[in-house]
Amino acid sequence: MIDGAVSGGLRLKALTKRFGSFTAAESVNLDIRRGEFLTLLGPSGSGKTTLLMMIAGFLDITEGDILLDGMSIAGMPPEKRNFGMVFQGYALFPHMSVRQNIAYPLDVRKRPKAEIEARVDEMLDLVQLQDFGHRLPGQLSGGQQQRVALARALCFAPPVLLLDEPLGALDKKLRVEVQDQLKDIHRRVGTTFIYVTHDQEEALSMSDRIVIMQKGRIEQVGTPEELYQKPRTRFAASFLGKSNFLTKDGALYALRPEKIDIAPKGAGQGPNRVSGTVRAMTYFGSVLKYDVTVPGMDEIEVDADAWRGGAPLAAGAEVDLSWSDAAAVRLERD
Amino acid sequence: MRRSFSETLNRYWAWLLLLFLVAPALIAIPVSLTPKRFLSMPKGELSLRHFEKLFGSEEWMSSFWQSAVIGLTSAALATALGTLCAIGLWRVSSKWGEAVRAFLLLPLVVPPIISAMAFYRFMVPLGLIDTYAGLILAHTVLAAPLVLITVSASLAGFDPRLEQASRNLGASNWTTMRRVILPSIRPGVLAGAIFAFIASWDEIVVTLFLSKFNVYTLPRRMWNGIRENTDPTVAAAAVVLIAITIIFFIIQALNARRSRNSGET
Repeated sequence: MIDGAVSGGLRLKALTKRFGSFTAAESVNLDIRRGEFLTLLGPSGSGKTTLLMMIAGFLDITEGDILLDGMSIAGMPPEKRNFGMVFQGYALFPHMSVRQNIAYPLDVRKRPKAEIEARVDEMLDLVQLQDFGHRLPGQLSGGQQQRVALARALCFAPPVLLLDEPLGALDKKLRVEVQDQLKDIHRRVGTTFIYVTHDQEEALSMSDRIVIMQKGRIEQVGTPEELYQKPRTRFAASFLGKSNFLTKDGALYALRPEKIDIAPKGAGQGPNRVSGTVRAMTYFGSVLKYDVTVPGMDEIEVDADAWRGGAPLAAGAEVDLSWSDAAAVRLERD
Repeated sequence: MRRSFSETLNRYWAWLLLLFLVAPALIAIPVSLTPKRFLSMPKGELSLRHFEKLFGSEEWMSSFWQSAVIGLTSAALATALGTLCAIGLWRVSSKWGEAVRAFLLLPLVVPPIISAMAFYRFMVPLGLIDTYAGLILAHTVLAAPLVLITVSASLAGFDPRLEQASRNLGASNWTTMRRVILPSIRPGVLAGAIFAFIASWDEIVVTLFLSKFNVYTLPRRMWNGIRENTDPTVAAAAVVLIAITIIFFIIQALNARRSRNSGET
């Protein structure tokens, strides 16, 4: 852990935000634990950014309350909350150097010069930008700007760090790299991270817990594994990963494509088995994706291991699909 | 690369048009150099006697300083008001704000003679006629919309997340304005200040209504010079007026270019 690190726990109580007749967040209850990496995941318009903006203090609360370590912070102006934030597009001050940007939160808190300099050096070390202190933000790459934004937001040791789609502007390869760095920095500073994204891979790979949101409500909260293996709703199952949906005895089940075995007709085994025809096969390198039409059911998607799964089956092939009882997860609601 | 005929034609038209626009102002330059004692084009011989007279005349120099004081003061006031107003409207950003903005731009739309009458009616009972305060007030009202326009244009390119970032990092509203917003919109503020100064520097219609003896600005003295006699000192004064205006425009152009360049890096 770096010096002076603290972390805070947040409690959202029946938090509601309305814009006129539109409800952006409806009675959200959520406990955010000290030091955890919590991700708010949802499509655009799901209310995740609204929640973040209310936590940061940029949006007034319509109803409900926000507690930081038991104390209400509703109505407190953003500059008094002491929360770090990494904005979409980073929002670095273009007329200040990297050092001045990082020093800004300490500067406005009127901390002694020597302390500021030492702290800025420490932060530049943390994000590995030691040689870039005197550049202007415009002279840095997207990934470097992202790290400056992170350093600036962590510089004053905030109890909570808010991140609003911080990787949105980066290309895919860089994104994976930065995900690892973020996780590493989270481990080292110990601050509570609240991370907003619509990217399910980011959510799965980084979070301690994920909150899936839709239409201003929480769909489900849990660890990445809980959410992936035991989705409770159709939305949760289809937004985090891919899923097929089956109805059996009046109940709805979610079935992940990779949990289905595909075999030439007659070779299928197991208690749950259907027969169908391959409509299309797509090659993804490590995975073969089959779209299989089964009479009387929706089209079923199957992901087969390209290496261990045997010879690829061509479109038009008659196949058996089978899965274990545990593979199909019964959903609580649609 | 060869230019097509129509392109060449366009080019000549543009220059011709420019000449048409600028020529009347440039006429003052040869006239100011005439050796004669009345307004005329010089024939052969050139003389600086009218400039000598201009700079030697207590009356002309007093008018010059009066114009400078009124211009600088009203430019400063208009810049402060116009900038605050632009930031306020940018923050509110609603249709009511747009209505207020349209209302504030009225001084640019209303014919100067109407504004002049309005100011006159308004200032007589206040005892502001023929005072510095009265003229500065009037010129500030006329110039503030120019600042509003230039600063609003700068703000249109300002990322509102920078303001949020500053607040989030612990800066108060005021600190945010001073350290983040103002530096980002500086080119617009500077341009507005220069336009405001120029607007006051060569304003005549409102000035004619509001000044009598005590306050006698440069344009006012030129107006009288032309009306009462045909002394070429007026042409010399016009050249000085144009020169100072051009200097301010060059400052503005350099400022715009610098901010463009810094935006690229």
